[in-house]
Amino acid sequence: MRLVIEVWRQDTPADSGRYETHTVDDATPEMSVLELLDRLNDQLVEEGLEPVAFESDCREGICGACGVTVDGSPHGPQRNTPSCHQRLAGYADGQRIRLEPLRSAAFPVIRDLVVDRSALDRIITAGGHVAIAAGTAPDADSLLVPHERAERALDMAACIGCGACVAACPNGAAHLFVGSKLTHLSLLPTGRQQRGKRARAMLFEMEQDFGPCSLYGECSRVCPANIPLTAIAAVNKEGLRSFFRHKDD
Amino acid sequence: MTADSGWMPPPCTVAGARAGGVLDGGAPEGPLSTAWRRRRLEYRLVNPANRRRLKVIVVGTGLAGAGAAAALGELGYEVECFTYHDSPRRAHSVAAQGGINAAGENTVDNDSLERFVRDTVKGGDFRGREADAFRLGEESHRVIDHMGAIGAPFAREYGGTLATRSFGGVQVSRTYYARGQTGQQLQVAGSQALLRQVDAGTVTLRTRHEMLDLVMDEGRVAGVVMRNLVSGKITAHTAHAVVLSTGGYGNIYYFSTLAKNSNASAAWRAVQRGALIASPSFIQFHPTALPVGSKWQSKTILMSESLRNDGRIWVPAKAGDERVAGSIPEQERDYYLERKYPAFGNLTPRDVASRNAVAQIRSGHGVGSLKNGVYLDFRDAIARLGKSTIAERYGNLFDMYQHATGEDPYAVPMRIAPGAHFTMGGLWSDYDQMTSLPGLFVGGECGWGYHGANRLGANSLLSACVDGWFTLPYSVPNYLAPLLGTAPLAPDSAPVREALARTRSRVDRLLGIGGRHGPSHFHRILGDLLYEGCGVTRTQESLTAAITAIQQLREQFWSELRIVGSAERLNQELEKAGRVADYLELAELMCVDALDREESCGAHFRDEHQVDGEAARDDEHWAFASAWQVDDGQFVRHHEPLTFESVRLQTRNYA
Amino acid sequence: MASARTTAGQVSGAAGPLLPGADDSALELGSVRAGRVRRPPVLPSWVLKVVMAVSGIVFALYVLVHMIGNLKVFTGVDHFNEYAHWLRTVLQPFLPYEGLLWIVRAVLLGCLVAHVGAAAVLWSRGRKSRGAHRHKGLGLRNFTARTMLVTGIVLLGFVVFHVLDLTTGTAGAASASFRPATVDQAHAYENLVASFQRPVAAAFYLVAMIALFLHLAHGLWTVVSDLGATGRRLRAVGYAVAGAVALAVMLGNIIIPISVLSGLLS
Repeated sequence: MRLVIEVWRQDTPADSGRYETHTVDDATPEMSVLELLDRLNDQLVEEGLEPVAFESDCREGICGACGVTVDGSPHGPQRNTPSCHQRLAGYADGQRIRLEPLRSAAFPVIRDLVVDRSALDRIITAGGHVAIAAGTAPDADSLLVPHERAERALDMAACIGCGACVAACPNGAAHLFVGSKLTHLSLLPTGRQQRGKRARAMLFEMEQDFGPCSLYGECSRVCPANIPLTAIAAVNKEGLRSFFRHKDD
Repeated sequence: MTADSGWMPPPCTVAGARAGGVLDGGAPEGPLSTAWRRRRLEYRLVNPANRRRLKVIVVGTGLAGAGAAAALGELGYEVECFTYHDSPRRAHSVAAQGGINAAGENTVDNDSLERFVRDTVKGGDFRGREADAFRLGEESHRVIDHMGAIGAPFAREYGGTLATRSFGGVQVSRTYYARGQTGQQLQVAGSQALLRQVDAGTVTLRTRHEMLDLVMDEGRVAGVVMRNLVSGKITAHTAHAVVLSTGGYGNIYYFSTLAKNSNASAAWRAVQRGALIASPSFIQFHPTALPVGSKWQSKTILMSESLRNDGRIWVPAKAGDERVAGSIPEQERDYYLERKYPAFGNLTPRDVASRNAVAQIRSGHGVGSLKNGVYLDFRDAIARLGKSTIAERYGNLFDMYQHATGEDPYAVPMRIAPGAHFTMGGLWSDYDQMTSLPGLFVGGECGWGYHGANRLGANSLLSACVDGWFTLPYSVPNYLAPLLGTAPLAPDSAPVREALARTRSRVDRLLGIGGRHGPSHFHRILGDLLYEGCGVTRTQESLTAAITAIQQLREQFWSELRIVGSAERLNQELEKAGRVADYLELAELMCVDALDREESCGAHFRDEHQVDGEAARDDEHWAFASAWQVDDGQFVRHHEPLTFESVRLQTRNYA
Repeated sequence: MASARTTAGQVSGAAGPLLPGADDSALELGSVRAGRVRRPPVLPSWVLKVVMAVSGIVFALYVLVHMIGNLKVFTGVDHFNEYAHWLRTVLQPFLPYEGLLWIVRAVLLGCLVAHVGAAAVLWSRGRKSRGAHRHKGLGLRNFTARTMLVTGIVLLGFVVFHVLDLTTGTAGAASASFRPATVDQAHAYENLVASFQRPVAAAFYLVAMIALFLHLAHGLWTVVSDLGATGRRLRAVGYAVAGAVALAVMLGNIIIPISVLSGLLS
């Protein structure tokens, strides 16, 4: 099928950017959005034009490297599906498809569809870790973790760090990302030892780049890891807890 | 047969290659079960106050790289860590699904360190170093404890203890897991630990930097040359030692289970600077990848091997059967693995499973519209355990399958096919994980350690973690200790300038070809060539033909490549081109290695060497690891003789 | 010393143009921007959200009680006026005349300032973090969330009108027949009926109550989240209560102008 692609082109972070229109004549319904970009780029290269820069890596929905906005929706129209798994089955012959980068003030565009998501790692650097040095951990079986708690921790730990939640948020908030990490680590016996300290550090960092949460729920809609909205409540829960408790754990 | 018995390996008869010398892996003498403990005692130490005067560069932030950088940072060394990703968490360790092994001692299924070693060595078809396998098993428990403690939420039993499952090639249950996302959970935990050191100021992390060369100083590795992928700036960074943990090169096949950016360039550059690369042709084809479905597909998607615990593999007994799976009656299905290997059934090691699948597909029993897969059927497991149990175990894998294929695996069997996956081969290193270049250490898949000619499932996460967290933090300081008081190479020194000039001229050369095709064009052709010539099975004929074709393709590449855009900013075509250029050289060596090794072992299956359809290993002539040196266009095969103490050399038998 | 060596250990490449729009120091680490969207705020957004949640709860309780009080209008003119009078004299002599009312008014005003102030700051932070590109095509799916600002402004306007109309009786807002309460007697019933007999006032009231419903429904659900309720049952209960309170307040209130216009109350 033939698809008309409106794709965002931006040469440098300083460039104001524009849409460029191209057509791909041999798109197929089982192609992913990224494979459509591959195809478009093959075409552009053969024509001697600069291909569209976009990020992807594992193409299995787990690395979190990919992330383009498709027709206004981060990752694409299918809910809770990463760009690499967004198939074109919903598009009809001749239809237009608009591809933009993940949009957020915290994610400056590097080039075309590639954005800089280091703001997310700055939050993890500030406190999204457990202070246990190599070789000092106790026997994992000596720290019992109830089955259900481990499963809940996994639900939250599933975050792939793609940043789509931020791009989907009309406030540019990172609550889903931060809340999932806070919850994940606070559910583990080792992680909870510095629960308060971590919350303070991560929230302090988060505040500088990301917006407030107004509970639009868009983040949870696009999240490829299906992180539930509970994660958002966890941000304030951990904030309140660390504020009133004022202890490191 | 030992190294000093006057035994000589067979002569190297491949054109353009010759035999070299004997290598010593440097494993401690004496009983292997205490070797690692004794070696650690021999290692030199650095006073904590002096550690910050010694600098280590770590390239790559996967399980091995992040682990090594974090652990060395925790110890107090000055660490500079690089990744070409935008974040350390993206490294391809993240995609491993099934689990991570640890040698069990407590369970009553009779697992033990010795059994772990036996499984690993035997699984690797006796082409790996036995002493390494001991270290792997010995440190395995600390890995589980540590990774769990720093944030990996392993699955737990209702009693609160860690849950385990069994994996291909093993009859005990020693695989720890976190749903089908074990790699992700370990990778995220590891990169968090790395970022903790960034926060503490011991590690400087530079993302979006790709290694293009090594800085050599009188035979020692003294630094790296990096290209900033965003600004295009090429810089040299020097240190007392360099750790490469840059992953495997399975992507050379174009269609592989690896991430699109995974590449061999860092390792291959080390080879070009004189490092040896061991067993490059030992490539594992994962039996549970998804068959290629269309021309534009970008890769083969991997499904976890853990699916084989409950799924049954079959093909229609009649070749060319066009019926859909559901309408083929039980007696007309051939559960060929269960039939041929009753003891292991669907859990035979990966090489056996892949080879049998290829045999079924080649004999016309393949399924799917392109007849290029076999069925992996959960019908019986769902009937036995219920859909909810299966969903809890494999839910995200089933979802992924449905995303990728549009078919519901709860209702119809999955279709799977072997796909290029893990490279057992890689930079040769001694017992201390140091390559043949002093100062260059290696961790994880980019090395050759542990797995011999075939890796057991759930051993790769383990080997990367053991290297990064519990081997390199001991062995790198041993190398650093005598260097205390010396400074890293100066920025304006001749070796640095030379390395920078070499790198720039290569980039310029790539940009200046001005041909017609982008790098992907050549990569696809190379992938097809390799699947055909050096795939799941190889022959002298296929390999010889592949070598010629690769040489021709390489010439075409260097005359017909076109890179649009400049080197002064993000240019993904330039990145790809550099990687494909390296693949085109490595591919030839892979074929040379496969052609040279006149036996079948593990994943290396030469059609000429088989007995009743099973690999015919030749221990009399080939019980050694080939470690290749690339010397002015000539390939020189050095050899490290392999001897086995705790495991008797035996023919692998999974029946 | 360590960092000095790190710097010395790097050798810059060709003196090419650096990337426009990117900071050199950030580029060295693989990022493009060294600065942040904003400096660390004195009052973090999550604290402001808690402020909004707490003040919002006060408003919600107030409108709930207010609505229940309003319904007394159906118990007859005397009873209703007595209730209005009682509100002014309750707890005398411990409190002065209208003491409780003034306490309530003070609390409400405080909450209003906090609520609106926090909202304004949060709104501007949200804008800044979102960046230049507006999100479009969200459809109806988070209509209440997206209209919080609009419904909030409508409510603010309504509150002003409502006070001028039925509390101060300011000309222009109040009905011509408005009679202020005296120390002995209130005329709340007559004032109310007279006000709602003006169709425009009744319509504005209706619109305001719909706005209140939308604002409360999403606001109270946000309260559940902002006060950190993560338990499954607690959240389910919170969700139900948010909807129920919002609906009850709206229905309980709009029944009054309808009754006035239909002649049920006069």
